[in-house]
Amino acid sequence: MNIRDLIENRRVIVCAGSGGVGKTTTATAIALSAARSGRKVLALTVDPSKRLAQTLGVDRNLAEPVPIPEERRAEAGIEEGMLEAWMLDPSVVSDSFVNRFADTPEEAERLINNRLYRQISRMVAGMQEYMAMEALYGFLREERYDLVVLDTPPSRNALDFLYGPSRLSSFLDGRIFQLFMPDDSKRSFIRRAASRLINRVNSAVFGAELYSELQDFMSSFSGIFRSMNKNASDGMKRLRDPEKVAFLLVTSPATESLTDAFFFRRKTIELELPFRGFVLNRSQAAGDARILPDGSLFGPEPTAVQASALEKLMTLARVEQAAVERHQLLLAQLQNDAGEGATAIALPVISSGADEMSALIHLGDVLMDA
Amino acid sequence: MVDLFGRRVALVTGKGGVGRTTLSAAMAMAAAKSGKRVLITELADPDGDYTPLARIFGRETLPPDPEELAPGIDGCVLWPRRGHEAFFHSVIPVRALVRAAMGSGALRKLLDTAPSFREMGIFYHIYTLLELERSPGVPLYDVVIVDMPASGHTLGLTGLPERLLALMPTGPIAEAMHRGRPYFTDPALCAAWIVTLPEVLPVTESLELIEGLEGHDTPIGGILVNRVLEDPFTAEERAALEPVLTAEHYGYERFVGVVQSTRTLADLRTRTPVTIVEVPEFPLSSTELIDAVADQLVEVSQ
Repeated sequence: MNIRDLIENRRVIVCAGSGGVGKTTTATAIALSAARSGRKVLALTVDPSKRLAQTLGVDRNLAEPVPIPEERRAEAGIEEGMLEAWMLDPSVVSDSFVNRFADTPEEAERLINNRLYRQISRMVAGMQEYMAMEALYGFLREERYDLVVLDTPPSRNALDFLYGPSRLSSFLDGRIFQLFMPDDSKRSFIRRAASRLINRVNSAVFGAELYSELQDFMSSFSGIFRSMNKNASDGMKRLRDPEKVAFLLVTSPATESLTDAFFFRRKTIELELPFRGFVLNRSQAAGDARILPDGSLFGPEPTAVQASALEKLMTLARVEQAAVERHQLLLAQLQNDAGEGATAIALPVISSGADEMSALIHLGDVLMDA
Repeated sequence: MVDLFGRRVALVTGKGGVGRTTLSAAMAMAAAKSGKRVLITELADPDGDYTPLARIFGRETLPPDPEELAPGIDGCVLWPRRGHEAFFHSVIPVRALVRAAMGSGALRKLLDTAPSFREMGIFYHIYTLLELERSPGVPLYDVVIVDMPASGHTLGLTGLPERLLALMPTGPIAEAMHRGRPYFTDPALCAAWIVTLPEVLPVTESLELIEGLEGHDTPIGGILVNRVLEDPFTAEERAALEPVLTAEHYGYERFVGVVQSTRTLADLRTRTPVTIVEVPEFPLSSTELIDAVADQLVEVSQ
């Protein structure tokens, strides 16, 4: 199993990892490589840094994916292939969802203008994860792209975004609607008593006015929510297809992110997701070609300043040399832990100030050649 | 002198990977060393998987209610369920009714999963922790330190009162928001501390985060710049090395890194008027690291 194979043949590559490890950079490098090899690619990111948006030359919060500008395309050396990028805006996806599932355009408009809907679709928690998955399936259905590279939302727990949909789906569970449904006289005595109790609680918690608004909201949206619920529960199943989907876990050499990485590995086994490798980012593992600075730096008779400079430099050099050894061990450990059918690969540190596009292409090449 | 723990609430935030949790724990330890009664908290499920903060204190997760984690330091998770319970008790005088409501599977699910209701529970939980008293009029905890989630989620939380008030301008929830809000907006009661690294991108993102927090009226305590590299070289030594040292040598990256760290810090000082606290890089890990950082913070705060 190598990364090139994934980049050339999979339909979905999910880059996951805890915050600050370089997920977006890795995802973008993969998307660029795939486009350079001739595929039609969408880079789907949820919370990109401005820097990467600049590199790809696209704006945030557009209504739909946009191709990267011609000059960036040329700069990246994309010929046959296509690269579009989208910084997902949850409220745009949720509006399009309502449009798709409402009975008529008038109905859709009425729903979209509902005051509570306008508030709720913009409240990010859970919704963002759900919408990322929703957008992903939409693109797969349309067959507009050969490959979608998903940069998962930043979160401490790398897998939060997978649970986002099911969290939302349990929110959308039919039982919740009953909470807000008006009394039904055909129900049994016990059910009516229970419903009166819930009413009392709800009025106390929400206040009578908001409670009745919530009841309206829930009943007008129950159809839409049912469709969302079905989609959310289908989601995990579709991500299990090993022929189409690959999960990569991006980690840094820092202990915390490694702990998360091993945890993620166990979770993918539990959830039966096609884990295909660790990406050890910002690693010195390939840095052993360097030499230790020594007396030859200054010639046979160094001045006092040169001698003390060299001594201090040696301390720094030994720290770096130790890091290389540590990272190589780490990589071996990750490789071992990845198990059969998966891999571990090290990506170097990009020195700040390096040209962004060429740095990304370089990272992509490292991934392709591994 | 920087007033690191003089206010009731310290929100510790910043982008992923900058050492937010380490600094939260060090801050708790430093406050305890300075004689404060400290509660350290984070957003997590007490029945969930491990958290890095809990592991610092030798546990897998923090408990749902405050327990002593270390001398002078209590800890607990901020847990929506506790907050909802407390809130229900405050609006529904009949205890049996609250028990019935919390026992209702459907209502439970709504509160656990509906956007904003989770955050509302977290908000109310921390509010009740802040209101705990040792004796009448004397709070149980001098300072409550919150290891906040990464930047985006932090703003989700600090913006909550405003969002909920837009959603429900009147009613019991609105009243609760009004009651609790000063703990997050009054500069005498609360300060947000933004953890960052002396690198270009993290610094830029921390300035953006400050903008976002100010938009929510969150008082800014300052920026904690973590892992600041100390420059061991004199100007002459640096000048001697510059022409001969290349990327082919071990030591070059750190030689260059020191300059960048210093330059980025200087640049940060020109870009923002907020207090900047430097935390040096220590070649230590786990508890030794936290001890060293805590000592540094005690020093800064005196």
